Amino acid sequence: MANKLTFMEMISPPEDISENGHLIDYLFNYTTTLNIFFFVLVCIGLFGFSFLYHRKRHPKAYYTYGNKRVHILVATVIGIAVFIGIDLNITRLSNNDYIGIFINWPDETKEDVVKVQVLGQQWAWNFRQAGVDGVFNTEDDLVTLNDLRVPAGKKVVFQILSKDVIHSLYFPNARRKTDAIPGRITRMWIQFNKPGNYDIACAEMCGTYHYRMKASLTVYEQENYDHWLAEAQQIHDAVNDPEDAGIYWGWKWAPNGKVNKVGMTK
Amino acid sequence: MAFYEQHIHPKPTTFLSKYIFSYDHKVIGKQFLWYGILFLLVGGLMALMIRWTLAYPGQAFPIIGHFLFPETGGAVPPDTYAMLFTMHGTIMIFYAITPILIGAFGNFCIPLMLGARDMAFPLLNMLSFHLAALSGLILMASLFTPLGAAAGGWTSYPTLSTLIGSPGVGQTLWSLAIFVLGVSSTMGAVNYITTIITLRAPGMGYFDMPLTIWGLGLTAVLNAIFLPVLGAGVLLLIFDRVFGTTFFLAGAAATTGTGDPVLFQHVFWIFGHPEVYILILPAWGIVSDQLSFFARKPAFGAKATALSMTSITVLSTLVYGHHMFTTQMSPLLTQTFMTLTMTISIPSAIFFANWLGTIWKGSIRFHSPMLFSLGVVFVFGLGGLTGLYLGTVTTDLYLHDTYFVVGHFHYTMAASVLLGGFAATYFWMPKMFGTIMNEFWAKVHFWITMMGLNGVFFGMMLVGYGGMHRRIYNPFIYEFTQKLIPINTFTTWAAIVMGLAQIIFVINFVHAVFFKKEQASDNPWEVGTLEWTIPSPAPHYNFKDIPVVKCGPHEFGNPNLSGGKDYQYQTEELA
Repeated sequence: MANKLTFMEMISPPEDISENGHLIDYLFNYTTTLNIFFFVLVCIGLFGFSFLYHRKRHPKAYYTYGNKRVHILVATVIGIAVFIGIDLNITRLSNNDYIGIFINWPDETKEDVVKVQVLGQQWAWNFRQAGVDGVFNTEDDLVTLNDLRVPAGKKVVFQILSKDVIHSLYFPNARRKTDAIPGRITRMWIQFNKPGNYDIACAEMCGTYHYRMKASLTVYEQENYDHWLAEAQQIHDAVNDPEDAGIYWGWKWAPNGKVNKVGMTK
Repeated sequence: MAFYEQHIHPKPTTFLSKYIFSYDHKVIGKQFLWYGILFLLVGGLMALMIRWTLAYPGQAFPIIGHFLFPETGGAVPPDTYAMLFTMHGTIMIFYAITPILIGAFGNFCIPLMLGARDMAFPLLNMLSFHLAALSGLILMASLFTPLGAAAGGWTSYPTLSTLIGSPGVGQTLWSLAIFVLGVSSTMGAVNYITTIITLRAPGMGYFDMPLTIWGLGLTAVLNAIFLPVLGAGVLLLIFDRVFGTTFFLAGAAATTGTGDPVLFQHVFWIFGHPEVYILILPAWGIVSDQLSFFARKPAFGAKATALSMTSITVLSTLVYGHHMFTTQMSPLLTQTFMTLTMTISIPSAIFFANWLGTIWKGSIRFHSPMLFSLGVVFVFGLGGLTGLYLGTVTTDLYLHDTYFVVGHFHYTMAASVLLGGFAATYFWMPKMFGTIMNEFWAKVHFWITMMGLNGVFFGMMLVGYGGMHRRIYNPFIYEFTQKLIPINTFTTWAAIVMGLAQIIFVINFVHAVFFKKEQASDNPWEVGTLEWTIPSPAPHYNFKDIPVVKCGPHEFGNPNLSGGKDYQYQTEELA
């Protein structure tokens, strides 16, 4: 399969399945355009001057310290052009996306969001959804291992924690990752739009089998999701042992992200 | 301007006092050079094993694989793979680049270019090398401990680097080795700073120093300030590992009390970001000088270049948070670090303009050091610009911990610094060893290295943009990395080509040092800085009479010069 791809297809990032991933792709391409412009300028200078002022073509160097007013002006203009032309531009774009979208948390009291607790461990991802009672860390919670299923078109809010070393929950198809840190809950929200099956990886070095810390993400249409949820709940209730303390690794869901540093509830 | 008399002691006569326990800055510089080249080869071999595994996971490493990993039939096993990339990073940064650029050329160039007979503290200088040797020994020994060497990445984030993730003694030895090396480098840094302040030749103001010395001096300042921070960090890590403290343990992992693993990241990157500039500043200085030397033209805006490097030094201490965007710092901190990071491009753009200004209307001689210096301009341009994607927080959320980061920092730290180190080696060879290296093979070495490293590091950035994350043993178990297999294979072969090209360098170097009969002249490159006013190789105590400096280091093509020379020694007065 790989051989049939063109070079550009080969180096393109994974398919974007999220509502806002295109913002990151846009900023990347925007920065690339500006970078190519400035790097071409550098190369014109580098290769052009190397050719023109080879000692064979230009035996006598022009004596200057580059401290004439015009020289200082040119260097300053280049410095400021790069700063305003690239840096301020991309910083503004990135900052707007970051504040306006990526950390603009959905209001859970008003919006219908899907809540997921994620616990990283060496070398697997545990996912927990609240179950029918809507309360986390109770016996009807739907707990899955390396298997995350969410509906398309709805905001999914993750609260992420690790029980051993630092991991990083990485959705290549949504262009996002957030570290899973022991003793500190981190958050992320993503809206997945395109149904299908995708990879979840761990992006932070977490030990020998870091590369195998792979989970699957299934995005369903809403009705398929509801169907799966009901079926999974049934199976879960049948096999779940409420006496088993091991199933209560979750924590109280602090609404609207009023969490920072918490211990795990029993 | 020298503050005190510099005495001349008799030459050492025994082998030990001459080559092992030498106070002579030139000998210590050479010790660091050999040490660095040795570790460069070890680290390079590790890089090839890493690359091989990424292209052909599970297949035997050619030639030496069966000998090194007999139990897997020659293939690198996953736990060894983690040790390899951890040790590769550690070795290249602390045991190859630092000793070559700072240890070797810092020691060698600072007194010679300042017109001094030795460093301010020769004994401290000797101890600095011996501690570095001890540290290297500890690090290498850790490879032979029962559970093997450290395997938590060169950043060694807790809690992976605590007993929870790394129970073996290797990680403790790693921390100890870094601590000892930190002491060694701090000693060196204090020595460099003192020497630059007190031992400049009479008449030499700070702006009369070559830009190489500016780069080395600023590096020393950063080293002196920030290496103790790293030392403190790894010491606390050792406490956590050996004495059961919980500075960096938290959550389910902490048995008593509670610390914070993110604290280590702060401590590490407060040091770690300046470290990037610690490595690159000497190379910038060397390149700024050599572009002027070989373009036969004064360095364009030398004062502005020096001040730009200084402002980057200051700014580098204020931006470290961009390494931690994914740990979810407060939005205010995130925005602050993003904006501060971006301001670094102002001074960078200014000295880039000055570099191009230096070769503008010059009369360029394309000797091997010049080729390598121009190479630095090219690769650092790429490395610097690709940093922008990682400085803006939203693109970083995608690219963080992918091969894009790996490609980017290899362009800035590995490619630029390596090329700068080669430029320095080819350039100062006559003054160090009294011979000149073969120019033809030097150029062959340059072109193959240049093509190889661009293949490797650009390939890394491509797969990183494709989403492939770092530090994975087998990238092909993911759906989204399948299509990146051909690029990974290409990258590996580029790395092999680049690795093989270094054999040319080693042969050329060893031949010039030990076997070449033909002596180099005192000033083969026709340059006016102080080290070229004395014989090659530099004699015992360098300067019989302390020189008096009368002009700057880049006096080329001055129309008032007479006598057929187009350059002027720093000791000469203009007519």
